[in-house]
Amino acid sequence: MSEKLFVKVGDVVLKSPIILASGTCNMGRELSEIYDLSILGGLSSKGLTIKPRVGNEGVRVAECECGMLNSVGLQNPGVDHFIKEDLGYMNTLDTGVIVNVAGHCFEDYIDIVNKLNPYADMIDALEVNLSCPNVKAGCMSIGSDPEQIKAIVSELRKLTDLPLWIKLTPNVTDIKQTALAAQEGGADAVVLINTLLGMKIDIKTRRPVLRNNTGGYSGPAVKPVAIRMVAECSQVLDIPIIGCGGISSAEDVIEFMIAGASAVEIGTANLVVPESPKFITEELEAWCKDNDTSLESLTATLQLW
Amino acid sequence: MKDNYCELVSKEFLNEDTVYLEFLCPEIANNAVPGQFVNVTCSKFLRRPFGIAGVNKEKGTFRIGVKIIGEGTTEIACFEEGDEVFILGPLGNGFDFNKDGKYILISGGTGVFPINFAYEYLSEIGADVKVVQGFRNMSQVIMNKPEFILTTDSGDAGIKGNCCDGLNTLSDEDLKDATVACVGPIPMMKAVSAWADSKGLDCYISMEQRMACGIGICLVCVCKTKAQEQGVEFDHKRCCKDGPVFNSKEVIL
Repeated sequence: MSEKLFVKVGDVVLKSPIILASGTCNMGRELSEIYDLSILGGLSSKGLTIKPRVGNEGVRVAECECGMLNSVGLQNPGVDHFIKEDLGYMNTLDTGVIVNVAGHCFEDYIDIVNKLNPYADMIDALEVNLSCPNVKAGCMSIGSDPEQIKAIVSELRKLTDLPLWIKLTPNVTDIKQTALAAQEGGADAVVLINTLLGMKIDIKTRRPVLRNNTGGYSGPAVKPVAIRMVAECSQVLDIPIIGCGGISSAEDVIEFMIAGASAVEIGTANLVVPESPKFITEELEAWCKDNDTSLESLTATLQLW
Repeated sequence: MKDNYCELVSKEFLNEDTVYLEFLCPEIANNAVPGQFVNVTCSKFLRRPFGIAGVNKEKGTFRIGVKIIGEGTTEIACFEEGDEVFILGPLGNGFDFNKDGKYILISGGTGVFPINFAYEYLSEIGADVKVVQGFRNMSQVIMNKPEFILTTDSGDAGIKGNCCDGLNTLSDEDLKDATVACVGPIPMMKAVSAWADSKGLDCYISMEQRMACGIGICLVCVCKTKAQEQGVEFDHKRCCKDGPVFNSKEVIL
């Protein structure tokens, strides 16, 4: 591993800026059969809730141009099962352990952080999902309101010393307002962006393809939206940004970092080419060598016209 | 399991909308078991999953059957010999067959392909095996062998009726201690599961759902299964990783 790939997200040091996005790597077991995950900066767990969730019924994926819609609906084994069965495993992977948490209401987020607090030495950061578009309550409905974001982040800040990364939704009028609210609440970083709310219609049946009607749009198509949001937030935030949205090459990672990201998450690319984070890491190493520079020096070097 | 760069070595049209493709890939040929599948890249955003239709370990090849349904399958059906493509596999849990077993295999639709692999595999290990195939009509009949029990809805080939009518021609001796394996549309697997239940036979079915990764990381391709713990109505298991083969008693059809 080249030291040129090392990055810092606040106080969290990562071996590389590449983190596997929540919901696209499960808890790491399946991908670890394909390549060595220790080359990564980190891995973000499947979004966890207090109780196990079976997720949405019926068709949960719809292919689109340059991307896909999903409506999994936070299927997960619940935080207790995660602590018992998965957290220890994730710690054997020799990479950053990010735990993604989600909830229906304030109390859920508080309970889940309280449950994870005793395991703080096994966790590098908590990623607070205020942005899942596929559940009826919580998540995105909390995460579209700056007041609620500030309130919940302040509450969680009081509860834990773990780094709090707030994953935000792009489905708002002005993402700077929600990102600033997270910062004011005491967040250590924001993760930009979760999926864009979308729909695909089967023109024969005149019904949505997804049984949930709508789903989250991800893949290369959303990258320009994510880059714009990272660049906008980078102008107004003091805390670091983790960029996420349609990354499938080393050039994409570099673009996100120039826009203002300190690290990035790779999501949908894992579902198409499972080894893509490995290939991207290799490309980044070569790029740093060729350009005789470190990745960290790229962050927020965008010069707007 | 890994992402293999595979060359198409032979191609044959089985009927006007179904092609049989053979790819060179010793990795998959040597490791695949019946019931497993592969995920094939095309220019569409997601890969396309296909049940493995058979392997030739000597040549290091495996086969899939592709029914042309949309743009992705059209493109894959248009691959030419010599073309190379990334194929992830072998994927999922296959059938748990053993040579001392006695098996009744039932196929419908594109289920003929995984059932063909199962038949070739069981014949090779010397297990006792019977096959029932169900088709809509004679023009749809593919992958048939003289020793199979053939049924068609139209009755223009084989027994008129569905595969359960075919199964009912088996003798009590044929059924004794047999295990049933069925791959086909949901209504057919539901009927076969009920038939197997009525005869007191174990039945394994292969579940299908719109899929993305094929390796168990995205959780989109789930099927409803009976709850393992109290307090929940049902569970969702991944067709790609926990299946595609499930005991029929586990799945809520």
